[in-house]
Amino acid sequence: MTSEAAAAAQPFVMDNAFWTATAIFLLAYTVIVSEKIHKTIVAVFGAGLMLVLKILHQHEAFHIEEFGIDWNVIFLLISMMIIINLMRPTGVFEYIAIKSAKWGKGEPFRIMAIFAIVTAVLSALLDNVTTVLLITPVTLLIADALEVDPVPYLLSCVLASNIGGTATLIGDPPNIMIASKAQLNFMDFIYHLAPIVVVMMVVYIAVIKLIWGRKMKTRDELKERIMSMNEHDAIKDPVMLKKSLFVLFLVLTGFVFHGMLHFQPATVALFGAGLLLLLSNTHEPHHILAEVEWPTIFFFIGLFIIVGGVVKVGLIKWMSIKVLDITQGNLFATSMVIMWFSAFASAIVDNIPYVATMNPLVADMAGQIWPELSGRALLHHPDLMPVWWSLALGACLGGNGSAIGASANVIVVGMSEKAGRKISFMKFMAYGMPIMLLTVAISTIYVWIRYYLLKI
Amino acid sequence: MKAKDLMIPLQEYLKPDSTLKEAANILRSAKRDEEKYGVKGLPVLDDKGEMIGFLSMGDILKAVFPSYLSLMDLGHFTWDGMVENLAKKMKDHKVSEMMTRDVITIHEDAPLMECVDHMIKHNVKRLPVLNKESKVVGMLYERDLFFVITRSMLDENSGGAR
Repeated sequence: MTSEAAAAAQPFVMDNAFWTATAIFLLAYTVIVSEKIHKTIVAVFGAGLMLVLKILHQHEAFHIEEFGIDWNVIFLLISMMIIINLMRPTGVFEYIAIKSAKWGKGEPFRIMAIFAIVTAVLSALLDNVTTVLLITPVTLLIADALEVDPVPYLLSCVLASNIGGTATLIGDPPNIMIASKAQLNFMDFIYHLAPIVVVMMVVYIAVIKLIWGRKMKTRDELKERIMSMNEHDAIKDPVMLKKSLFVLFLVLTGFVFHGMLHFQPATVALFGAGLLLLLSNTHEPHHILAEVEWPTIFFFIGLFIIVGGVVKVGLIKWMSIKVLDITQGNLFATSMVIMWFSAFASAIVDNIPYVATMNPLVADMAGQIWPELSGRALLHHPDLMPVWWSLALGACLGGNGSAIGASANVIVVGMSEKAGRKISFMKFMAYGMPIMLLTVAISTIYVWIRYYLLKI
Repeated sequence: MKAKDLMIPLQEYLKPDSTLKEAANILRSAKRDEEKYGVKGLPVLDDKGEMIGFLSMGDILKAVFPSYLSLMDLGHFTWDGMVENLAKKMKDHKVSEMMTRDVITIHEDAPLMECVDHMIKHNVKRLPVLNKESKVVGMLYERDLFFVITRSMLDENSGGAR
């Protein structure tokens, strides 16, 4: 093929802008992986470069969905953070944790299993980082009370958190991003991902029973320490608790029906955040808003702009052509490649920048396979759906592969070290990697049977 | 009056490699003044006599305080004997692990208001006093400043600067 023919086949040119944008993208991702500079700073600076070098116009970055910031993701994250920040001081999370430990009757493994399940459920409803921030301190307290090693508890919780987060639209940032890009709603995730996550959790509990179940022993007088705790002491503000639970219920109901009511999830969450702020009687919202994890939010903003730049110059299109070359347009093969590649990629790099890149790539690939379709008809093509689910499963579950695979892992390892129990990179991997491989294998079988064999 | 006029000259200090158990012994037996024993904190000096930190009662409390309790409201759910247990576990840890490294100090020639300023702004109750060579020469306590202030309040005749 001559170079002219190649250029004609490609709807983009490899000009200066192409190479500049590609260089910014690669450099930014390399520095993010190296952790030499804080990832948020890298993302915001990279975004600034994309704009100042006119790869992307400001209008495109701020207002064009294809190239710029996905405000649906941003406002969903901010709103959920505000709701959680308002709920935390009521003591509800301490209550849930202490209550769970008492359900466990002070039996070490029973408590471990209940904590894993509670963590998975909370992770499905809140984001994983918030969940482990709430569960880890209680886990350490319970391990101290029972005079057992806290490390198995911490590992079993954080691994469960990444599994549980896979189940819903709001459970894990990759799902939030995929939902927004692919126009999938909350119930799509419940219908397609939640059932297999339940299966994974059953298998997971059996596995942790095998690994840690027999080793955990304690004495009766130590169990008494747990049983004499009164979970009602945890509730600091019963009035605010009632308001929070009301708003949370409203928001979750809103999520269930948002597809039917034609609301974006961010609309539901923002309404909930506004309502709870109003009900909280806070005169000074400054500290609630200040507690939003702005570094995470700006990380997203920066990444969206960087990825927007490489979408505009055609790098993503070039990549999607290469993926189709490899899989020969076979969508089952594409699903499998994406799922396993995503799992390993997410174990090594942050899954947020990874999914930010994969989203437009998958959309572009679909455009090449079905050039006559566009919009929702394209994104929701029945043959494309399993690809989205494979991306979600791979990117979320891959987080368990290493200590840096997910933000939740980094936090738990950090807290454990502070408590004097260092979890080394290798130790984390020794447990996390097999769990990742196991859950992705379950996902592989699931996707194959459900979408390619039974086609339901 | 200056810091050096009010300070208690340094008699005891801690070494970074001592254990908390050894430090506890020194803290409890150190002479505070002529008749009292036991101090609430001592500077930690290295081999060259340079101050590298300060170990106070607060640091001893922090030594037994699990990090997870500071992250969530779990004080209600602790148990009898927890403090004593953790104290036994921590006794062999080194002073250098638990000491405060950024110590608020005062120069020996500083006026008393500067001492008050430091205590209020940094919320500390004692200040190591440094000489020109940056060596610790004494300790200035909130209590002693309190006596200077109240003495001035009660004594009609004593005015401002002497």
